[in-house]
Amino acid sequence: MFATPVYAATTAEGAAEHGGALFTLFGWLEVTSVTTTTWGLMVVIAVVSYLATRRLEKIPTRRLQIFMEMCLGKLLDFLSGIMGDRDRAKRYFPVLASFFILILLSNYSGLLPGAGHVTGLQAPTSTWSVTIAFAVIVFFATHYYGIKAKGLGYFKHFTQPIIFLLPLNILEEFTKPLSLSLRLFGNIYGEEMVIAGLFSLLPLFLPVPMQLLSLLFGFIQAFVFTMLASIYIASATAGHH
Amino acid sequence: MSFSVSDMIWAIINFLILLAILNKFLYKPLLTTMDNRMEQIKKDLYSAELAKKEAREIREEYTKQMEQAKAEAQQIIEKATKIGEETRENLINEAREETTKMTEKAREMIRLEKEEALNQLRDEVSTLVVMAAGKVIEKTIDQEAHEKLIREFIEEAGDAS
Repeated sequence: MFATPVYAATTAEGAAEHGGALFTLFGWLEVTSVTTTTWGLMVVIAVVSYLATRRLEKIPTRRLQIFMEMCLGKLLDFLSGIMGDRDRAKRYFPVLASFFILILLSNYSGLLPGAGHVTGLQAPTSTWSVTIAFAVIVFFATHYYGIKAKGLGYFKHFTQPIIFLLPLNILEEFTKPLSLSLRLFGNIYGEEMVIAGLFSLLPLFLPVPMQLLSLLFGFIQAFVFTMLASIYIASATAGHH
Repeated sequence: MSFSVSDMIWAIINFLILLAILNKFLYKPLLTTMDNRMEQIKKDLYSAELAKKEAREIREEYTKQMEQAKAEAQQIIEKATKIGEETRENLINEAREETTKMTEKAREMIRLEKEEALNQLRDEVSTLVVMAAGKVIEKTIDQEAHEKLIREFIEEAGDAS
């Protein structure tokens, strides 16, 4: 009804470039390959989550439960290390873990065959629009948690250590999400460009080493984003000693 | 590098939806299960520790009792052995005494029998002698002389025996 199929990027040069709208909702809200890919990832995540926790066992025997417990356990341990204690880490765990999972899978979705070429499939993190959206969520989450943890006293830390650093401190709050989003976007976009370039040179074997490296980089970028977000939240909610 | 407000809005919406889904279907159930397990393990470990301690105490108590019982048994055995030995000695002594007594009695009886036999023999012999003597002298002596004669004879015979 609102759907208006448009076009898909098909050339190597246009592959990692932001694709056009596949259809438009309400006359202005465009749905692009990036968004459909995210939806696909969400469906996969939802199904896997449902399957993993459908029949939870106290002593797990199903591989999926064991695997999920291991992943979440490691993530929680890691966040506990940053936050200082496990209870605090648990409070912010849902947001941070969701970032990690979504960004990791988004990064890896760019390695799927045909990603960037096929209509409706493009790594979401290879566009700045998506990464800045994530960073904006981190920005609001950080200050929301900060105010929630410390009340209005939260804003005091902008005037520390001395009052005339206030503009600089405020500026920093805006450079944080900017750097966060640009780092992620730049890395993934760059990888895709390199892979696309290698692909156009020799499609058969040339991109493979870069794709293998991308497996590593995709993980590292998701990890770095989550780690920085947790550090921002940790410092915003940290009590004064 | 292009920027699309639609993509950004969708990314935010998608993230929030995903957060809700993950929270409901993954984090809450899984973390709750993990916490419950940890709690259970902690509890179990604690009770196991408690049970171990209890078992150790019971074992110590048991060992102590065993040693006590062993010592007691040893004592009883020693006592029984002593009593047995004493009893044996007593029995032997008694038997010995009995034997001695019986021997003495027997001896006494033999002596008496012998005496009696001798007396009988003496009577018999004296009668025979008197009869023989009467026949030899062919004369009857009076009662008084007769008895005197016998007495003399017996005394002589007694001295001779």
